[in-house]
Amino acid sequence: MDFFFGLLQIIGVHTILGLSAYVVLQTGQVTLAQAGFFSIGAYVSAMLTVLAGWHIVPALLVAATAAGIVAGIVGFPALRIKGLMLVVATIAFGEFIRLFWFNFDYQIEKKGIVVGPQGGEGFKQIRFFPENGWSTLDVAIFIWVIVALIMLALWWTDRSRAGAVLRAVGEDELAAQSVGINLTAVKVGAFAAGGFIAGIGGAIYAHYTTHIEHLNFGVMLATFAIAYPILGGLRNVFGTLVAVIFIQGFLVEGLRFMGDWRNLLFGALIVLAMNVQPRGLIDERSVRLVRGLFTRN
Amino acid sequence: MVDFVQNCLDGIMLGSSYALLAIGFTLIFGVMRRLNLSYGPSIMVGAFVGTLVYLEFKANALAIAAATVVGAVIVGIYVERLCFRAIRRGAAVASMVSSFVIWMQLEEIVTVVFPDRTYPFPPLVSAAPVELGPFFFKVENLVMFACAAAMTVWLHWLLQYTRFGLALRAVSENPRAALFMGINVGAVMFLAFVIASAFGGVAAYLIVSADGQITPLFGLWATFKGLIAMMLGGMGSIPGAILGGLLLGVVEAQSIWYLGTEYRDLSAYFLLFLFLVFRPGGLMGQLAVEREQAAMRRV
Repeated sequence: MDFFFGLLQIIGVHTILGLSAYVVLQTGQVTLAQAGFFSIGAYVSAMLTVLAGWHIVPALLVAATAAGIVAGIVGFPALRIKGLMLVVATIAFGEFIRLFWFNFDYQIEKKGIVVGPQGGEGFKQIRFFPENGWSTLDVAIFIWVIVALIMLALWWTDRSRAGAVLRAVGEDELAAQSVGINLTAVKVGAFAAGGFIAGIGGAIYAHYTTHIEHLNFGVMLATFAIAYPILGGLRNVFGTLVAVIFIQGFLVEGLRFMGDWRNLLFGALIVLAMNVQPRGLIDERSVRLVRGLFTRN
Repeated sequence: MVDFVQNCLDGIMLGSSYALLAIGFTLIFGVMRRLNLSYGPSIMVGAFVGTLVYLEFKANALAIAAATVVGAVIVGIYVERLCFRAIRRGAAVASMVSSFVIWMQLEEIVTVVFPDRTYPFPPLVSAAPVELGPFFFKVENLVMFACAAAMTVWLHWLLQYTRFGLALRAVSENPRAALFMGINVGAVMFLAFVIASAFGGVAAYLIVSADGQITPLFGLWATFKGLIAMMLGGMGSIPGAILGGLLLGVVEAQSIWYLGTEYRDLSAYFLLFLFLVFRPGGLMGQLAVEREQAAMRRV
């Protein structure tokens, strides 16, 4: 059973990561910096629980806030550029954070063992869950409660005025500005919110893997972060969840029997999905199709 | 002072390879307005084809270079058909994500076919460094610089003085208007992709033969360096790509000398960030950005 709980944990964390990119994508900005914010959440929360001995919940909130603040700061220069230039700029920023962790050394001795981030070696022994006797099931439940909270918050935002504002900016900036929407506030806000959510994901990730290193947070993870909402569609938050289950559950776990050749089929299937459904798996057409199955006419 | 000048010279030599990578990126971006993330990996596959020819047939340098370029072009065509032609207009991000998964695919193929990860690559020339007054030049770097310069001149001729160049510029200006003028937009894009891949193949050959070895990580490296150089110069501008590549090379050479090797990449990203904050259009693309901002202010 532990395998399935482990898979649930992975899907939960990746859903959070995907949702963090979803918020930013709604304003029409493509960001590949989410892995960077994710890593800030991971390192800061792990330092708080391991070095300062905090409980995970406050550590998680503080780490997510730190990631959100950094994301807001990144949001400002990002305002001046858009489109694919923003993509490259955010890649550069994500790599910048990754290389920062690569050079970051801060270790202290606790209970006879030396702990803390150690540059290229990474940060080992993040043992909050085992030390406090949380089983895999407990951790999975903890993660999914957080996923549910984030999804609920975003689902509600989508239906409120704030969601309309985000989408208006995403559809046509000029039109949004001319009806009096403050572009700066919306874009920086979306970046900060995305960073906050990515920080939560990173904090959880650090604690369930117990060992993080800078290589975990490369451009690969960043691309996965935007691939989920794009593959799932930006219609609503459930698209991201469907895409994560499709990629992590079906493509990564389900194709494990393929061994070395897994990535080949993985790539082909995603390209196929992108070709058939360029606006995401859950778009107007597929929603109509599913509705058609359940309603008589 | 001698150190500083020597670093600048080294940087220009290094930067000429970045410039070739950036030209490939900027050609694709200028014509298609899309980003090809698997550009680096596809030329990496080309370089592995070159290695294969070297290991299997003990071929000479020219044959290896030809194999590298042909390999890069074939993989480039594969990427174009799958990620750019097939996905319809307007879904630029879908293209980018697709090109990224093709990147994963290419890396996987290479690691399966070449399980040892690091393979030898024959040097183009093996000669002692040339000494000129107080300065040293490595011969392979001089060759790299000369090739980059020659190819840039050729590209300039192609774009400015041929019918194909005119068509390509028309497509990059406005694809729809170009279509109405009777230009076969699809064919022009395809050829631009092939030329970009060929440039990438030459760049890959020059860089890898100067290094003497090849690993699958070369793809990631080439994508990042090409992207940064293109951004520094300004997206879609060929003179910009060259200047950006040279600037990146000089800055990296200086930071290796004064700060240490571990700061090489960090300083490259930092430079890019400074540019984005103070000059978001890059060296040659500032005018377009300013025009757009002025339009936003008028609203």
